[in-house]
Amino acid sequence: MWSRIAYAFRETWASFRRNLTLTAAAVVTSAISLLLVGTTFLIQRGFDNLLVRWKGDVQMIVFVASDAAPEQISYIEGVIKSQPAVIDLNKLKYLDKAASFEEAKVIFTGDPTLLSLLTPETIPTQFKVVPLTGDAALVRSLAEQYRGLPKVEGVSLAEDEFQVISTLSGFVRTVTIVMSVVLLGVAVALIWNTIRTAMFARRREIEVMKLVGATNWFIRVPFMLEGLLQGLIGGVASCAGLWTLNRAWANGVAGFKPGTGISALVVPGSYVNGVMVMLLVIGALAGAIGSGIAASRFLDV
Amino acid sequence: MIRLDNVTKVYGADSVAVRDVSFDIAKGDFVFLVGPSGSGKSTLLRLMNRQERPERGDVWIAGRNINELGDSRVPYLRRGMGNVFQDYKLLSNKTVFENVAFALEVIGKPRHVIRQQVPAVLELVGLEDKHDRLPDQLSGGEQQRVSIARAFVNRPLIMLADEPTGNLDPATGEGIMQLLDSINRSGTTVVMATHDHRIVNMMRKRVIQLDRGVLVRDQERGVYE
Repeated sequence: MWSRIAYAFRETWASFRRNLTLTAAAVVTSAISLLLVGTTFLIQRGFDNLLVRWKGDVQMIVFVASDAAPEQISYIEGVIKSQPAVIDLNKLKYLDKAASFEEAKVIFTGDPTLLSLLTPETIPTQFKVVPLTGDAALVRSLAEQYRGLPKVEGVSLAEDEFQVISTLSGFVRTVTIVMSVVLLGVAVALIWNTIRTAMFARRREIEVMKLVGATNWFIRVPFMLEGLLQGLIGGVASCAGLWTLNRAWANGVAGFKPGTGISALVVPGSYVNGVMVMLLVIGALAGAIGSGIAASRFLDV
Repeated sequence: MIRLDNVTKVYGADSVAVRDVSFDIAKGDFVFLVGPSGSGKSTLLRLMNRQERPERGDVWIAGRNINELGDSRVPYLRRGMGNVFQDYKLLSNKTVFENVAFALEVIGKPRHVIRQQVPAVLELVGLEDKHDRLPDQLSGGEQQRVSIARAFVNRPLIMLADEPTGNLDPATGEGIMQLLDSINRSGTTVVMATHDHRIVNMMRKRVIQLDRGVLVRDQERGVYE
């Protein structure tokens, strides 16, 4: 058993050295494509952070001062509910201080200074309003009406904040997903080609192996290991790239003026770690699958 | 040990390589397959180690119909066979020792077995002093000896040799035949395809003659006609 494992690793290493140029090309391509995949996830998460407060068709948010008394909050709620023809009462949601604070933690991940200023006591509470009407002018006039209510700190409209971001998010998502899928395909093809070339270079050896009774798996495993390693090294490189990119972005955002909203685009470190693990798995799998297919297809050399 | 029952092998649409061939080879036999180029000698050898499958008929090795053998079992069939070729099929980047050891390594034999068996078989073929040479540092005859050592290191029951003297001068060819003869005397069944008249006439072994894929003669202690 040990001799077989040692053999597989020895052959993998030898093949790596023999095909250095092709191997490097496959590794670099998989690294770039995986980096794009990772970036797609981070960008998407950033946009999700930005849009989290607008989830569920919310078109308007009424912010209520943190010192508002329960009866004042009930009064505001009553005003909002007084127009059941325009407001979807089933979807009307009130976020108390605790819930608002949890939401703020997501939105202000990239702005620790602002986050440290917020406490569950000082944070404004919110009414999330889903209008039944598509009439933007009507929604805007409602917002004006709510702004005048006592203890209402402000009213945000999705139309102002959300639409542009949403469109941008969709565009960026499509472009990055398409690019990363295409590049991942190219990486698999390159790994496939590297393995095919390696097998062609060793066709005589493979022929002898088959004639002396080596099993197909015995022949295949070192090649699959080679592809897996190429994918994995690409994955490691992409993780390094992603970490650097994310760090640079987080540092850059930290320099922005508070309140621009851009800080929501910074994702938490734990999420970045998760994405990096996923990149390693995708890299290893893509490499193993690409080389496995090539090894099976060209075993009759 | 080897039995062919009405075996027919066709390449492409209508190129018949072997037509309705039947014979029996007993354990420990030494058999020459003779005939001109293209008569089907090599095809018969390839049918015996399952590099090819016949369109009709059965090939039996050690009591098993190898046409019915699943692909995953073929490697185990081949571990009981040694193959020797006209062009030696040695790996140019491996030394003599490594070439022979390779045959044991790829079937998962442990290192201590390899260290024991390889020097023994190199001594048998008379190359114990050249174990660290690369193939291109050896003569044709020596390369063929390495190829035989590789085929024999696993002590196979059957050895299939396809024109093993085809690239060698007569004197060197004789040396190779002596080696194959001694392997045969140790109990290994040897089937050798050749069109070397001199060798066949010298050895006086069983001769199976083919002509355009048809068996035309099967003779004990025969000569090349």
